[in-house]
Amino acid sequence: MRRLLILLTFVLLAASTWMSLTVGEVTAAEAGITVEKNIVYVHVPSAICASLCFVVLLVAGIAYLGTNSPAYDYIGAASAEAAFVFATVLNATGCVFARAFWGYWWTPSPRLITSAILWFLSVAYLILRAGVPDPARRARACAVFGIIAFLDVPLLFISARLIKDIHIANVEFETAWQGAAFGLSILGTLLLGFLLIWLKADVLKCRAKLEEELVD
Amino acid sequence: MNYFCDSLRAIFIKDIVAEFRSRQVLPTMVVLGMLIVWVMRIVSEAASVSAEIMAPAVLWIAFLFSGLLAQERSFAAEEQEDCIAGLLLAPIDVGTIYLAKLLVNILMLCVFEAIIVPVVLLAFGIAVPDRWPALIGVLLLGNVGISSVGTLFSAMVQLSRVRGALLSILVLVILLPMMIPATFGLLLLFGAIPAELTGTGALSMVGSFKTAVGYMIAFDTLFTVACWLLFGFVVGQ
Repeated sequence: MRRLLILLTFVLLAASTWMSLTVGEVTAAEAGITVEKNIVYVHVPSAICASLCFVVLLVAGIAYLGTNSPAYDYIGAASAEAAFVFATVLNATGCVFARAFWGYWWTPSPRLITSAILWFLSVAYLILRAGVPDPARRARACAVFGIIAFLDVPLLFISARLIKDIHIANVEFETAWQGAAFGLSILGTLLLGFLLIWLKADVLKCRAKLEEELVD
Repeated sequence: MNYFCDSLRAIFIKDIVAEFRSRQVLPTMVVLGMLIVWVMRIVSEAASVSAEIMAPAVLWIAFLFSGLLAQERSFAAEEQEDCIAGLLLAPIDVGTIYLAKLLVNILMLCVFEAIIVPVVLLAFGIAVPDRWPALIGVLLLGNVGISSVGTLFSAMVQLSRVRGALLSILVLVILLPMMIPATFGLLLLFGAIPAELTGTGALSMVGSFKTAVGYMIAFDTLFTVACWLLFGFVVGQ
C-alpha cells in the first residue's frame, strides 16, 4: 500500500513537472514574466501544503491533549517537519520569483511576511522539540505550542488576503493543459505531504520503541 | 467568584513581595532597556532615518527583550525548592495561577515602560505626542500581548535544559504578527507616517490607527484566553 502510494506520488510529480515544462508552460500574459511564472507549479502547491500541515498540527495537538496517546504526538511532530519542508520550498521559490520579477529577493509585503512567519513557526516548533528531553512532557509542550502557533495562521491569512499586495493575484490559466498540470502538481504535492507525515510518524514511533527497549 | 479573587490576590501579592524583597528582576530589566536605548541612540547618529522612526523600534525592542527577563523569572523562581508543586497542590484552579502570574508580568512591564518611555523621548529629543493617552493605550495593549504569551511559555520552558534561549525564540515567533500593528501604532503617534497609509508594504497592511488597535485587541484577547485555557496542560494537570 505504502509502496504504491510512493510510486503514485512520484508518477504524479514527474507528470506535472513534464507537463508544466512542455504543454502547460505559462506564456507571457503580463509583460516581463515568462519563464519565471512557471514557478507557480511548485510555489502554490507548497503554500497549500504548508498551511494544511499546520491544520494537522492543531488537530494532532488537541487530540494529544485529549487522549494522551503518543501516536498523536508523532503525527504532530511529523507534520511540523513537513510544514518546515514546504515552507522552505515556498519561501525559496518565492525569493527566486521576486528576484526575477521585482528585482529584489525579499520585501515586507503581506503575503511574503505571512510565508516567512509560517517558516519561523515550524522552526520554533522543531527547536522546542529538540530542547525538552522527557518524552511525555515534550509531547505536551509541543501540543500546546502547536495549538498556539495555529492561532497565528488565521490572523495572518485573513489579513494577507484582504489587502492590496505587490504579490501577483491568483493565477488564471489560459489553457486546459495548464489547469491540468496545476491540478496534478497540487495533487502530487498533497500526496507527498501525506506520505512525509506518515513515514516520519512511523520513524518516530519506532525510535520511541527502541529507546524504551534500550532503557529496559 | 470571591474565592477566585482571593486566591488571585494571594499569588499576585506573594510575587510582588518576593520581587520587592529580592529586587532581582526590575533593575535588570531597566539596565537592559537603557543599554538598548543607548546603543540605538549611537546607531541613529549614523543612520539617515529620523528620530521619530527610530523611537518606536527602540521601544518595542526594549519591551520585548526586557519583558523576556521578567517572564523567565516568573516560573524559574517557582522551580527552586519545588515551589510550583506547592502552588499546584493548593485547592485553586490552575488558570488562576496563570492569571496571577500574568498580572505580575504586566505590572512589571508597566513599571518598566514608565521608566523607559521618558528615557527614549529624552534620548531621541522627541516631544511628548499630542495623543499621549492613545500612546499609553497602544503600549498597554502591546504589554498584555507580550506578557500573555511569555507567561505561558515561561512555564513551558522550565521543562527544558536551555530555558532562556528557548523562551526568547518561542515568544518572539508567536509575537511577530502583533508587532506589525504595534509598530504602526507607535509610528503614527510619533508622527513618522501619515494617518492613512496606502501602498503594498507591511505597514499599509494595517492601514489606519483604528485597524491597528483592533488587531492588537483581537490578538490580546485570543492569546490571553488560549494561554489561560492551555496553562493546565503545560504544568501537567
